[in-house]
Amino acid sequence: MDEWLEAEGESVEAAVQAALEALGLTSPEQVSVEVLREPKKGFLGLGSQMALVKVTQKPRRRRRRGRSGKGDSKGNSGEGARKPEKVANSERSGKPSGSNGSGRSRSNQKQSKGKGSPDSRGTKPRSSKQREGSQERQTRPTNKPNSKSKRPSQEAAVTENKGRDNEPKASIEEQATVAVEFLEGLVGSFGLDGDVTSRIDDEVLYLDIDGDTEALVGNRGVILHSVLELTRTVIQRKTYGAPRMRIDIAGYAARRREALQIYAGRLAEKVLADGGEVMLEPMNPADRKVVHDAIGEIDGVRSYSEGEDPNRSVVVAPE
Amino acid sequence: MSGEIVEKVVTYVVSNIVDNPEEIEVEVVEDGEDAVLAEVRTAKSDMGRVIGRRGRVAKAIRTVARAAGDEEGLDVQVEFLD
Repeated sequence: MDEWLEAEGESVEAAVQAALEALGLTSPEQVSVEVLREPKKGFLGLGSQMALVKVTQKPRRRRRRGRSGKGDSKGNSGEGARKPEKVANSERSGKPSGSNGSGRSRSNQKQSKGKGSPDSRGTKPRSSKQREGSQERQTRPTNKPNSKSKRPSQEAAVTENKGRDNEPKASIEEQATVAVEFLEGLVGSFGLDGDVTSRIDDEVLYLDIDGDTEALVGNRGVILHSVLELTRTVIQRKTYGAPRMRIDIAGYAARRREALQIYAGRLAEKVLADGGEVMLEPMNPADRKVVHDAIGEIDGVRSYSEGEDPNRSVVVAPE
Repeated sequence: MSGEIVEKVVTYVVSNIVDNPEEIEVEVVEDGEDAVLAEVRTAKSDMGRVIGRRGRVAKAIRTVARAAGDEEGLDVQVEFLD
């Protein structure tokens, strides 16, 4: 009776490796591999497709090892844009291998944490993961179809995969929902009256807070940028990834864009008339892009940036 | 001084970022005239989340906390403790 499982990974190799770890095996020689789906690249995991392999352990089964990974300190920082891979666990023991030396498999980490294994960062296990169902997850694999006498059907495997899918793979629509909920709560906690809307265009999430919410803009949009940063953090934390995002609050970003375009146009005229270069005040990347785009539309001038953030400035120069 | 909005906002933001929202504690204490200090306590394991890469999240929380203080005419400092 073969032990088998399906695993996903950014590449076929990664998927096989993840499966091996979950099975407690070390060498690809010990299994036979069936590629169920080839991987596709996407942007930060969005629109990408992971490789899906079915790995069957060859006869002469070995007991799973304990933790083999040296632990990983990066994979779960919550900041990495990388999408975690999913590892469909072995049905036999229902025991996660917990080996995550490469930091590839977040669900593995979670499982190992749920089991109270030491957090690799030397802190206590992150218990809140329980809310996301680590307990459930621990038991789930045991319910998985067991390869009694015949191999489990494809169907069963698919079902199992679905069960594991729900958490790491949030769509941009789900991320938009998380963002809108967070922002509505934020506006409420300020005691302000505002409407939060979202729009998705070309894989970019546009958020808009409208209403009596100037208090959330700040001098040169400093609060607005913090609100965006926090929103990104919350999305990251709840969906294990974050899309590209723009935010506007009380029409500030739109007005700022317009003002910058007018300003850029004036500077271009000045440079065209007087020659020489003009350096603007330091701006954030989004504002610089507006200026570059505006200058790019005007004949006879060009622009480039100088300095390091946060003191990076656009320079307008004759072409 | 009140600091009620500061407390609400900071609590809301932090609880949405940490893994253990039940373990956070936000205390807003007077810190001079028209100024408050918001002491934020989280589970040790959540400090990293609250601070963020190169302190970016902490900085954003401070900025938003100050914005909340502006609503009440208060200067705000935020301290993160575990």
